[in-house]
Amino acid sequence: MLAAACAAIAFVLLILPMSTRSSVAATLRATIVLPLAAMQTKAELSRRAFLSHDAALRLIDSVTLRSQRLTGVEEENERLRKLLGLASAIRWGFIPAEALQGRGLGDDFTVTLSAGRSAGVEALSPVVTTEGLVGMVERADNSLSLAILWPHPDFRVSAMAADGSAFGIVTAHRGEGASRYFLEMHSVPLRSPLKAGTAIVSSGLGGVWPRGIPIGVVVSEIKTSEGFAKSYLMRPMVSLPDIASVFILTPERVRAGLENVWSTASSTDSARKALVAAGDSAKKPRDTTVTRAPTTTTTKRDSLARAPVKRDSARRVP
Amino acid sequence: MSFARAFWLVVVFVLLVALHYTLRPVLAWRASIDFLVIALLLIAVRARPGAAALAGFVLGLMADSLTPEAFGAGALAMTAVGFGASWLKAAFFADNIALNGIFIFAGKWAFDVIFLLAEHRLQGTDLLVQVLLWSPLAAAATAIMGLIVLLTVRPVLGAPRS
Repeated sequence: MLAAACAAIAFVLLILPMSTRSSVAATLRATIVLPLAAMQTKAELSRRAFLSHDAALRLIDSVTLRSQRLTGVEEENERLRKLLGLASAIRWGFIPAEALQGRGLGDDFTVTLSAGRSAGVEALSPVVTTEGLVGMVERADNSLSLAILWPHPDFRVSAMAADGSAFGIVTAHRGEGASRYFLEMHSVPLRSPLKAGTAIVSSGLGGVWPRGIPIGVVVSEIKTSEGFAKSYLMRPMVSLPDIASVFILTPERVRAGLENVWSTASSTDSARKALVAAGDSAKKPRDTTVTRAPTTTTTKRDSLARAPVKRDSARRVP
Repeated sequence: MSFARAFWLVVVFVLLVALHYTLRPVLAWRASIDFLVIALLLIAVRARPGAAALAGFVLGLMADSLTPEAFGAGALAMTAVGFGASWLKAAFFADNIALNGIFIFAGKWAFDVIFLLAEHRLQGTDLLVQVLLWSPLAAAATAIMGLIVLLTVRPVLGAPRS
């Protein structure tokens, strides 16, 4: 009897109108079947998560890789924008070059540059970057050149405080360990003390370095046995590991001088950053530079001011 | 049936129902294991035909509530399978692995056939393919899993009533 009743009810349910069956089913789903439906939902979600796990991992990997590349691209863009600002400020008389990465051993004080005699590089030409002074070309081959960097024992530059209040000679600091990568300004007259944080630039005396190239910032005074002059420890403006793209100044440009170039470059860079912040990072900086470049007395050398723009990888990033 | 055996029977029954709604969706096989049929047969061979039919009806109704288009078909099929299994166990059920497997296989296949005929969704070739290909495969998978379950729970449930 019970079995027949169950079968009869089931048969009746089968022939009921769809709306009635749906409402009965909905009542069941909302009551006794609710926990079972919840379990099934979670099981199916787990299965989907399991199946999509590998794909999700691949996606995460590619996104991570892309973001890592993007970090490098952003850094490169920043560096190139600065170079662009410096190139606009110098306007003429420089040769852009890449610092070729060495093997890391024995090349702390020298660097190979990607431009040589064929590009107009000569020995004793100053090497600068957006931050300031890097070193000096020691030897120029046909297509490459070798430059000494500021930590080199032979490095010398006549320097002065940015406000012209004190003069001296800047050399590499002969310390041990990390202090080896500081600079030292000595032969500073006793009557011209320098405070920590004072910016030091090249003085232009001697004819090798034009006036106004940032060299470093005074950190502290060094106690020496000299009684007639003071010496100061300096933090260099240019961090050697960060050197990638540099400018080699031509003798004509050195003779013409470079005063106010770095302050102009920094203001250009600020203007460029403002444009970038305004959401026009792709086109406006390029347009600005392109319109400026033809106004310069261009030669084969300084026309490369446009080169950093072409290399701006930001334009290739989708 | 002692209280302990009844308790374990309920535990295994609930466990099988839970597996139907957890493991089966995870496996998502085309010929899937029907844990509800195994749970029903486990009850049916230990209960009277009427009680087995009622258990099948309830189980079928629960399953149907998630597929309103075939609402009632599962209840009808489960009622028939529960009643039939309980009625036939005296004749066919023995303490034999192969016979138990055939019993579960037949139970699942019968359920599928009744369900498919009752819901009227598939017709013609599709119905034949489902009845003659996928249903036997699902019945075989269910029978294998049913045997594993039977062998696992036999120490606590004991042999079915004769």
